[in-house]
Amino acid sequence: MVPLVTKDFRRTTLRPRHRPIVRALAEALFSPDGEATPERLDAFVDEVDGFISPASKTLRFGLVMMLWILRFSPLLFGKLRLFDDMSVEDRVHHLERLDKSKVKQLPLIVVAYKTVMTMLFYEDEQELRGLGYPGFARKRHLKVTS
Amino acid sequence: MTAHAHDHDRAFDHGLHHEPSTAPRMQVLRGREQTAPFSASVDVVIIGSGAGGSVVARELARDGRSVVVLEEGGHYTPQEYGALPPSQSFRRLAREAGMSVALGVGDTPLISLLAGKCIGGSSVLTGAVCFRIPDEVLHTWSDDLGLSRMTPDGVDPYFSEVEEICHVETVPHHMRSRASELFVAGAASMGIEMKSMRRNTKGCRGAARCNFGCPNGAKMSVDQSFLPDAVDHGATVVADALVQKIDITGGKARGVRGRFLDGVTGEPGVPFEVRAKVVVVACGSMHTPILLRKSGLDSVHIGRHLTLHPGLRIGALFDEAVDGWDGALQSVYSDHYWNEGIWLNGVYSAVNVLAAAFPGLGREHRRLVKNIPNLAFFGGMVHDDGGGQVRRWLSREPLVTYKMIPRDKERLLKTIQILGKIAFGAGAREVLLPIFGMPTIKKPKELDFLTPGQSSLAASRIECMAFHPLGSAKMSTARETGVVKPTGETWDVDNLFVIDGSILPTSIGVNSQLPIMGISMMLARGLVADFGEHARKALG
Repeated sequence: MVPLVTKDFRRTTLRPRHRPIVRALAEALFSPDGEATPERLDAFVDEVDGFISPASKTLRFGLVMMLWILRFSPLLFGKLRLFDDMSVEDRVHHLERLDKSKVKQLPLIVVAYKTVMTMLFYEDEQELRGLGYPGFARKRHLKVTS
Repeated sequence: MTAHAHDHDRAFDHGLHHEPSTAPRMQVLRGREQTAPFSASVDVVIIGSGAGGSVVARELARDGRSVVVLEEGGHYTPQEYGALPPSQSFRRLAREAGMSVALGVGDTPLISLLAGKCIGGSSVLTGAVCFRIPDEVLHTWSDDLGLSRMTPDGVDPYFSEVEEICHVETVPHHMRSRASELFVAGAASMGIEMKSMRRNTKGCRGAARCNFGCPNGAKMSVDQSFLPDAVDHGATVVADALVQKIDITGGKARGVRGRFLDGVTGEPGVPFEVRAKVVVVACGSMHTPILLRKSGLDSVHIGRHLTLHPGLRIGALFDEAVDGWDGALQSVYSDHYWNEGIWLNGVYSAVNVLAAAFPGLGREHRRLVKNIPNLAFFGGMVHDDGGGQVRRWLSREPLVTYKMIPRDKERLLKTIQILGKIAFGAGAREVLLPIFGMPTIKKPKELDFLTPGQSSLAASRIECMAFHPLGSAKMSTARETGVVKPTGETWDVDNLFVIDGSILPTSIGVNSQLPIMGISMMLARGLVADFGEHARKALG
C-alpha cells in the first residue's frame, strides 16, 4: 500500500454497545456455517467502523439508529428476543423477513448494512482468492502492449 | 505537470499494490495541516476542483489571472488512490464514503448517489465514459429554452478542445471484457446494435476499476489533465478547505470565507478568507445550491429541478467463466431506446462491490458470490425529468429528495425487462434482478411481471443508483426561470458565477463528465473575454 501523505481523520462511530449488533449481523451474513473465525469477526467490526466514520454526522446517526432498530426488530414479529441474542440460523431467517417486508423502511436496514459489510468482507485477500479473482493480472490489454 | 500511465508491469497483490512512480506531483496545499488563519487576495477564487472548477481554473490561469481553487475534499495523488482497495477509495474520495442517497418521495426508489469529494472531484470516480450532449437535447436548449449559443455547432469547438486535452478515445474491441461481448451478443439476438464507447483514457490496461480511481494512472481525470496545467500557470490549489459563505456586498461577490478541516476531527477548524474580483462556484449539483442559499441568494429555483439519470444493473449467470474484471470497465453502449428515454451501458465494477448488491442472505448470497467468475453485468439508465430537490439539512451534507414521475418509473421497469431479455438472449442460466428481496429468475417468462402498465411492483423495491446529478441551479434566459444567465453569472449577484453540472437546464440522457467540461470550457472562455469588465465592476 502506498503511504498516504494526507492522513486520515481520526473518528469512530461504533460504541461498545453497538459492536455486538454489528458482529451478530456479520456472523449471520457471512458465517452461517462458522466460515469466519471469531477473531475475524471481531476485526471486521473495526473495519465497518472505519468505513462509516468519514460520513457526515447525520448519516452516522442514521446508521446507528438502524442498528438499534435491527436489535429490537424481532419484537415486531412477536419474538421476545434481541437480534444479537438469536441463534445464527434464526438471525438469517429474521433478516430474510426484514428483507421481504412490505414496510418500506425495514428492507432498507438490511440493504444498507448488507451492502457496506459485503463490500468490506469480500475485500479480504483470502476471500478474493477464494472467489477466483486474480487481482491485477490481466490478459486483454496485452494484445496491444505485447 | 501531468502524471501519465506507466508501462511497466504490475505485480498482483489483491488490490493493494504499488510501484514507485516517476510522475511529477502536482503541488496542492493541504488544509488539514494548516495551523494558522489564512487570507489571500486574488483575481478569481474557484470553489470546487471537479470537472467544472478545474476547467475554469486552467483557462483563467492560462490567461494570466491569479487563481485559487478551494476544495473541501482531501488530496490524493493518482499513485496513492490507484493503490487503494475499493472501500478505502470510497471512504477517502467519495462524499459520505459512497453512501449518499436521494430519498424517494411517493412511488420512487431510494437512489444511491456517488459523488467525489477530493481534488479532481467526481472525475476521479467516473467510469471515464465520454459522450457529447446529444443534438436533440441541444436543440431543446437553443430552440425551446432560448439558449441561443447551445447549438451543436456552437458548442463543438469547446468539446473538441476538451476531448483533446483529456485524451478522449474509442475503446478498442480487444479491450472489451467477455462480459461486454456477451452483452453485445445478447443485444444482437434482440436486434439491438451496440456501439463502442469513448473514454478519457491514455494507456488503459483494462483493470475494470475506474470507479475507484484508476490503478494504472490511465484515466485522464481533471486532476491529471486540467488541474496540473492550471497549477503550471500559477494557480494555487488548496485541499480540505470548506467554503462556508460567499461574501456579497452591494450586490457583488467579493470573496469567500471558510475553514480548513481539522486534521484530527475532520470538522471545520482554522479560518481562511480569500478576497477575489470574481467568485466561481463549482461544487456540483448537490452542494452548489447549499452554498448559494447559505450566502443569501434566494431564487426559488436554487436546489430544484435536480435530474439524476436513475440507473440500474442486472447480473447474468453463465455456464462459462466470464471473468468480467478482465477488460475495460465500460466499453459498449446502445442508444436503440433513446426515443423511449432508455440508455444501455456495459458495466462492471470491483468484485466485492458487485457482490454487495447480490440478492439473498447467508448461504444463498454466498452461493452467488462464489459464482462471480461466471457473472456478467449489464446496465441501463433513464433520461429523467427533473424531480429532485436539494435542501440544507442538519449537517454539511444536503438532504436530497427525488420524486420520480410515473413515466420514468415505467422506463425503469422496461429497462430491467430489456436487460433481462438480453441476458437470456446471451445464454444466461440465471438472472439477478435489481429488486430487493427477489430471488434469481431462470426463464424469460419470469420477466413478464415488469411489463410497463401492468406491473404492481412498488418502486421502493427497485435497487437504483445515480452518478449524474445535474440541474439544481439551472441556466436560463430570464431571472424568473433560473439561477444563472447564459454566461454562468448569477442573476442576483454580480461577479458570482456558477460553472458546474448544476447549471445544465435539463437532463441530458448521457454520462455527464464531458458535457460539464465542454460547457465549462465555453463559459470559462466567456469569462476570460469579459474579465476586464468584471474587474472594473469589482472595483466599483
